[in-house]
Amino acid sequence: MKKNGFSAGDGWFARFFRGGSRKLADDVEKKREEGVDVEEIVSPLKMIVRGFFERKLAVIALCVLIAMFLVVFIGPHFMPKYYDSYNEVTQNNVPPTMSMLSVPAELKIDIKMIDSYGSFSVGVSNAGKVYVWGATQLGTTGVDVKDIPEEVRNAKIELVAAGIDHIIAIDENGRVYGWGHNGLGQFGYFDPEKYPNILSMPDELVNGTIDVKNVKKLTCGYQCSAILMNDGSFYLWGNKNTYQNIEKFAALVQLEDIDFTLNYIVGLTEARNAIFTGTRGLYDQYRSNLNTAAQPSKTYLDGRKIMAISAAANNVCAELDDGTLCFAGDFASNSKPMPALHDGEKVTQISAGNYHYTALTTEGRVLSWGSNTLDQCEVPAGMTNVKKIYTGAFQSYAVNSNGDLAGKWGLKGYLFGTDNRGANVFQRIIQGGRMTMTIGAVAVIISTIIGIIMGCISGYFGGKVDLILMRVTEVFAAIPFLPFALILSSIMAQMNISENNKIFLLMVILGLLSWTGLARMVRGQVLSARENEYVTAAKAMGVKEFVIAFKHILPNIVSIIFVTLTLDFATCMLTESSLSYLGFGVTYPRPTWGNMLNGANNATVIKNFWWQWVFTSLFLGITCICINIVGDTLRDVMDPKSDRDK
Amino acid sequence: MVKYVFKRIGYMFVVLIILSILMYCIYSLIPSNRAYSDARTDVQGMKQQLRNATEAEKEAIFQERYLMYQRRYGTDTNNILLRYLRWVGVAPNYYGQHNGILQGNFGWSQEYKDTVLNVIREPMKNTIFINIFSVILALAITIPLGIVCAVHKGSKGDQAVQVGTIIGYSLPSFIICIVFIWIFCSLLGWFPPSGMKTPGSNFTPWSWKWFADRMKYLALPLITMTFVSLGGMTRYVRASMIDSLSMDCIRTARAKGVREKTVIYSHAWRNALIPVVTLVVGWFIGIFGGSLIFENIFGLNGMGKIMIQALRTADVDMIVLLQVFYVAVSLLGNLIIDIVYGFVDPRIRVSA
Repeated sequence: MKKNGFSAGDGWFARFFRGGSRKLADDVEKKREEGVDVEEIVSPLKMIVRGFFERKLAVIALCVLIAMFLVVFIGPHFMPKYYDSYNEVTQNNVPPTMSMLSVPAELKIDIKMIDSYGSFSVGVSNAGKVYVWGATQLGTTGVDVKDIPEEVRNAKIELVAAGIDHIIAIDENGRVYGWGHNGLGQFGYFDPEKYPNILSMPDELVNGTIDVKNVKKLTCGYQCSAILMNDGSFYLWGNKNTYQNIEKFAALVQLEDIDFTLNYIVGLTEARNAIFTGTRGLYDQYRSNLNTAAQPSKTYLDGRKIMAISAAANNVCAELDDGTLCFAGDFASNSKPMPALHDGEKVTQISAGNYHYTALTTEGRVLSWGSNTLDQCEVPAGMTNVKKIYTGAFQSYAVNSNGDLAGKWGLKGYLFGTDNRGANVFQRIIQGGRMTMTIGAVAVIISTIIGIIMGCISGYFGGKVDLILMRVTEVFAAIPFLPFALILSSIMAQMNISENNKIFLLMVILGLLSWTGLARMVRGQVLSARENEYVTAAKAMGVKEFVIAFKHILPNIVSIIFVTLTLDFATCMLTESSLSYLGFGVTYPRPTWGNMLNGANNATVIKNFWWQWVFTSLFLGITCICINIVGDTLRDVMDPKSDRDK
Repeated sequence: MVKYVFKRIGYMFVVLIILSILMYCIYSLIPSNRAYSDARTDVQGMKQQLRNATEAEKEAIFQERYLMYQRRYGTDTNNILLRYLRWVGVAPNYYGQHNGILQGNFGWSQEYKDTVLNVIREPMKNTIFINIFSVILALAITIPLGIVCAVHKGSKGDQAVQVGTIIGYSLPSFIICIVFIWIFCSLLGWFPPSGMKTPGSNFTPWSWKWFADRMKYLALPLITMTFVSLGGMTRYVRASMIDSLSMDCIRTARAKGVREKTVIYSHAWRNALIPVVTLVVGWFIGIFGGSLIFENIFGLNGMGKIMIQALRTADVDMIVLLQVFYVAVSLLGNLIIDIVYGFVDPRIRVSA
């Protein structure tokens, strides 16, 4: 017998549970030391436990399984911000990375500006060098924005801006560069005849230069970019399909400010009395803070002028001429409102991320507010001498007067990447695991209860009862499992019941369809157990037969039931996953390991977005493998025949 | 033996009848009314004639049509038992005709606008072909592997196979499909990821080119299906082989000095075959249900795909027939298992 920490005798684990008389045990030990062969008498349960812990693979599997359970059932409590239907278009299909905040070391001490819109950030140093970090691989396009073109690397860059999948940079001579994905008019010349949905980059930018000293603002949106000059003229180009009001802006000549929300371009005209969108009723209700009531723009402004605007994805922040801020647009209900300013404190700089704003005040305080789902607003304490702030999509950076990075906060990245809706795969795996395991467990409990009752009654009473119950079992066993479960859940889907009830019904269906194997096995065991003397004794004492079957016989076969239960648990989990995978079990937005793989049923996703199926498959696969190993080992250990050959 | 077989067949019919009632009741839960939609289509088709008709008149014509269709389809009653009997073809419909499953009327697919039998003919062929092919492939691998593992029980190779098979049968089939598509289509580029034939190709059936094209598309599904069945099957063969190797007759044979090869392949394997044969039948049935997933992932035109489509579009008659097919296959399989058991194991025959 191999000795390890778990093995019986001197192992600590065995000692931990060893009860009884210490003296007797010591006697046995003494005799053994003397060389006398002492055979210990151990209960069957102890034998099983001992046999189980002797097998390393099984012990490892058990540990992994327990760890998996803990992660899945405790993990969700550490994700208070998670919700099922989370959807973020700028973060679709982001590969696993934790580098979204990793400003390159060279840039850290010499920051000129930083910008981002989607999954990557771009920064430029005072020396004119461009750095790109974050998830730089762009989906299926095969483009990596980290591959900065040679001419950009050689030029001294003054300004950069990042869009969802492209970067625009202007060098000291006024040349405008673009790189990244370029299928939809992100940069370069596009023939308007050939591409009616693209507003091409103006010719003077493609072939000529602009006066970089006079550039007031360079900004990029979703496949669109704009350059605003100090004299009010501006250049605008990009994909017409992504911004509905792009034509309205293209017709304008003069603008004081311009920015991109997710679906609209917003601008500021010379009148400065409203946010210009070219669309009636858009962003014309202003509020002083995120959680206060909105008022029509005229009432709210009351003659005050808007000096500048900065746009997040669904809302716009406007700086007024009296130094206050006002907000227009929609805010998520869980948004953090803007912190109150001290008396006399004014906001000197404001910068918008996708769902949050970061501002620097006259007192040197840095404030972040807005949506905090991805920790965008967790401003670190202890930043001093902050001169500038830069806010990207979900990241914020504070820069001090030397151009050094004083602090950074926000989204670091995604451990397992994001799915096609931009949701964090890791969080969904944990939440989905809870669902999958709960469904498996409840289904198995239902099937075990039915199986035990059917098997016990049928095995104990025999005769006609047995005949009828076994026919019933046969009926259920003859139902082809997957097709039938599919039909039941599709009927269920068409009925008007709540999502929770549907999931409960799914468990019941799985339980109702999978008890037959256990029932047959219990019946067989009871058949042989009822011939034992203790049953005869119980009968002689006049114990109710119901009690004999369930209280006397059942405990004697409980170990075998336990093994079946373990293995059935894996089967139920797999069935649920298969159903959800086919779209008939639990459906989106609720995650389960099955329906998370639903998106991975085409070759494009399998090839390009490997993280969307590899991790989920690993979790599901490892859990099932571990359950099966534990179950198989238990069966092996309980089977007295299997020990014979050792 | 004859008595035993008849008894089994009798049981099978009882089970079939109970199941069909059960299923009919469940299917009547699906909200679908063919008579209603047919009548609506008719009324819409008569737009020209009904140009001057009032709403009430239109409604009257619709009701008349609706009743006619209901009577024709046998749904003009709320009595579910009567509807069931009509569906089976035991009870006559309003016009006194027997028009049910027993008369060969399996229903009408609203999705394909054809009788269900016509729709299902081609997919059925495909499914049966794929399943039989992969079963043969899997058996050709698992039986030798299982025997070798049992004979060399406890060796390094056996342990490796044990771990491999536990992984194989624990993983859900769709994960294996995804991994195989990734390896063979994305990384190696050997096989197309889905479909039955090259799009737009028009080879004459059963010509060499047609066959090559088809095999190119079916290769990956077949490999995957075979691989998925390897795990459980190998373990089973191994277990039953180990059981039979520890039998007394084997010890006797060895004591007699029979060659080891003969002991294994003649004495032990024959005994091990009994549970294996029954398993193969049972597993063959299981694979019909399991091919649902494969057909969907690989875009094969088989029963499983038709079924998912029917479920998505609530094509009731189609679902019913497919379910009947699956139930029939499984009952038939059970019957064959019982009969085979009876043949190979005299104890069962006697006790029955």
